[in-house]
Amino acid sequence: MTRPTSWGVRVNLSTRRVDRAPVEQALSDAFLGGSGVGWRLMADALRPGIDPLSPENIICINPGVLVGTLTPGTPKTTVITKFPTTASEDGKHFIGACTAGGRYLGIALKRAGCHHLLITGKADRPSFLRIRDDAIDVVDAGEYWGHGIEEVMIDLVEREGPESGTIVIGTSGENLVRHALTIVDRGNSLGRGGLGAVMGSKNLKAIVVNGTGGVEVADPDAFIAASERMRDSIMRWPRREHWIDLGLAAGWSTFKHTQYPGIWPKDRWDELYGEETRIETVENVIACNSCILGCRLRWMTKGGEFDGEVGYGSPFSKSATSGMLLGVEDFRKVIHFVADANSKTGIDFYTTTRLIDFVTKMYEIGRLTSSQTGGLKLSRDYDTYEKLYEMIVTREGFGDVLADGWMRLKREFGLDPQEYWYAGICKGVDFIYDARPSSFHPLMMTFTTRPRPHHGGSHTMTNSRNKTIEEIRDQVERWGLPEGTIDRIFSESDYSGKFNVGRYTRYMEDMMRVKNAIGLCTIYTYQGLLFGNDIAELYSAATGHKMTALGMVECGERISNVAKVMNVREGFSRVDDAVPEVWFRPMDSPEGRIEMQDYYQTKILAKQDTDRILDDYYDERGWDLETGRPTPARIGKLGLGSIASDARGAL
Amino acid sequence: MTEGSPTISGSLVIRAENCRGCRSCQLACSFAKTRVFNPGRAMIVMERHLSDGMSAPMIKPIGCDLCGGDPACAKACKYGAITYEKGPSQEKVVVRLSSKEGS
Repeated sequence: MTRPTSWGVRVNLSTRRVDRAPVEQALSDAFLGGSGVGWRLMADALRPGIDPLSPENIICINPGVLVGTLTPGTPKTTVITKFPTTASEDGKHFIGACTAGGRYLGIALKRAGCHHLLITGKADRPSFLRIRDDAIDVVDAGEYWGHGIEEVMIDLVEREGPESGTIVIGTSGENLVRHALTIVDRGNSLGRGGLGAVMGSKNLKAIVVNGTGGVEVADPDAFIAASERMRDSIMRWPRREHWIDLGLAAGWSTFKHTQYPGIWPKDRWDELYGEETRIETVENVIACNSCILGCRLRWMTKGGEFDGEVGYGSPFSKSATSGMLLGVEDFRKVIHFVADANSKTGIDFYTTTRLIDFVTKMYEIGRLTSSQTGGLKLSRDYDTYEKLYEMIVTREGFGDVLADGWMRLKREFGLDPQEYWYAGICKGVDFIYDARPSSFHPLMMTFTTRPRPHHGGSHTMTNSRNKTIEEIRDQVERWGLPEGTIDRIFSESDYSGKFNVGRYTRYMEDMMRVKNAIGLCTIYTYQGLLFGNDIAELYSAATGHKMTALGMVECGERISNVAKVMNVREGFSRVDDAVPEVWFRPMDSPEGRIEMQDYYQTKILAKQDTDRILDDYYDERGWDLETGRPTPARIGKLGLGSIASDARGAL
Repeated sequence: MTEGSPTISGSLVIRAENCRGCRSCQLACSFAKTRVFNPGRAMIVMERHLSDGMSAPMIKPIGCDLCGGDPACAKACKYGAITYEKGPSQEKVVVRLSSKEGS
């Protein structure tokens, strides 16, 4: 049995130097490969304390270990970088990972032998990175600068061929808007928190990848047998038909309760943004590579001023919450922002609309004045929203302040992000979900404990409300967690009820590291269709490194700790993991008062409760309860002593 | 296949409008032929329609041997874009324009 070799490729945009070296097998084994190895490489390569928008920052791109093979759904590429979002009043920036699927990018990277692509430096002019197998070149992109994402993507694919995988930034990334993201292939967004600005700071408009090689697995017979068995089994999932019909337009019946912003009555929301409204705009449901549960949408707006506008991605949940918050009744006007962000500007729709909601309301109540906005009058109407959107993208006037995010609003005008009324903000990032309507489930917890608050890949079955103890228990057993651990997760307490969210969250994060390392889409663990034992079987056959489910979780823990240590080096500690204040403020809605409760909604949670849940999370990790930082003993046990030496003073 | 070719045991039926672009067919085909996953070695070309973001599988009749009567691409396609119909046939590949026809 031959074990496939992974390659690390380093590109310096300043010197145009490219280095390629195989990754030691022992490193791949300890960190699973993919983004696991990416984190370990970054721990050595990324100097602590650098400005994320300086040439020294590194963009580390890692297609998952199983990307490019036939599985139920492993399309994901994970990118690690230092994000430009200002995460604290003292100006810290987190180092985090973001993931995206797509149909072309991951496969193309694997076929080109780029298992870990580390890009640093800064090109001397607007450029794109062109990868054709071993030939990697920094190419002039002057003609693309100032142009929208989709236009550039189409031109690159026409130039480089139909198999090309792409990552492209829009105009907001060029303008270094701190919440600019990137688009992979078409409609797969990547990098909330500012990956687009990091690329912009490097004069890097796009990356286009083509390769001709194949993706080998160590034990082809065992691999294909396991894969086909899992694919056939998922085909029997009773909800599959509905899921692939509606894709990301599915789920309104749950969503309208769990993500309710509390301004309109729910039946009004139903009428304006509900399922029937959604269905009429869905044109096609598209799959990422290898995925049998395709969910990405191609939509077309019908009627209204944006009649005929086409977009890719998922406009519905975004438009429904922000639409209610902004008081825009015509969903097509809000979807327009999603379409424009995904196809042209590359700006983060969530952060942009939430910032607009915040400042227009603050203006209305006199907390912000026209002398502070540069003479601009802020009304609560669509024309103002459109104007502000454009001003943020271009950093024009007051838009320049908003382009620097929540912390600059606080610094400059004393507007505290903790005052914002929906979903909450942690480490400078606004959340998508609010723990009051959805309850304090483990995903909420991960928003506060992960180095990068928003992070694809962490969903497990507990994202749905009220899964039974038996269902959750069955799930963690299939991830190989030992009995003692499971007992701790299900020991009852007066602060977390029958299910200890803090202890569970630790494993949920480690599972996320596993999924991202191998490239598995999180839908499969969210819906309870694949578990650690399945993943271990595929991984073992693909890599020739025999792994158990628990072994994978242990590697996930090692990766989580590398990520944490790197962020400790940046100065992060327990205070940065604070639960957003808004979650403790009752939401008074037309449907009644809504307060944050435990997972099974048996009690209202207060700060002392979530503090104890956070204690349990750190305890389960073997970290210091007071500082929220890994202890030297734990780090030593995980074999990470050399990484931690830089941070020893802080640990 | 041209008229007069020997009768073969079945046909791959392509319904391009069902294609979601997951490329499982290409991965399965290349693996069946070479034991390595490589879309470039597959007997299927995935058309990429830049105008609307959609895809369509195109099978290269020369080179495709229908995997001896159990085509890997049809087994891998879970969206009904490539199916295999057994029975005497003159054509390796049949393109149907609408899923409603003959399905």
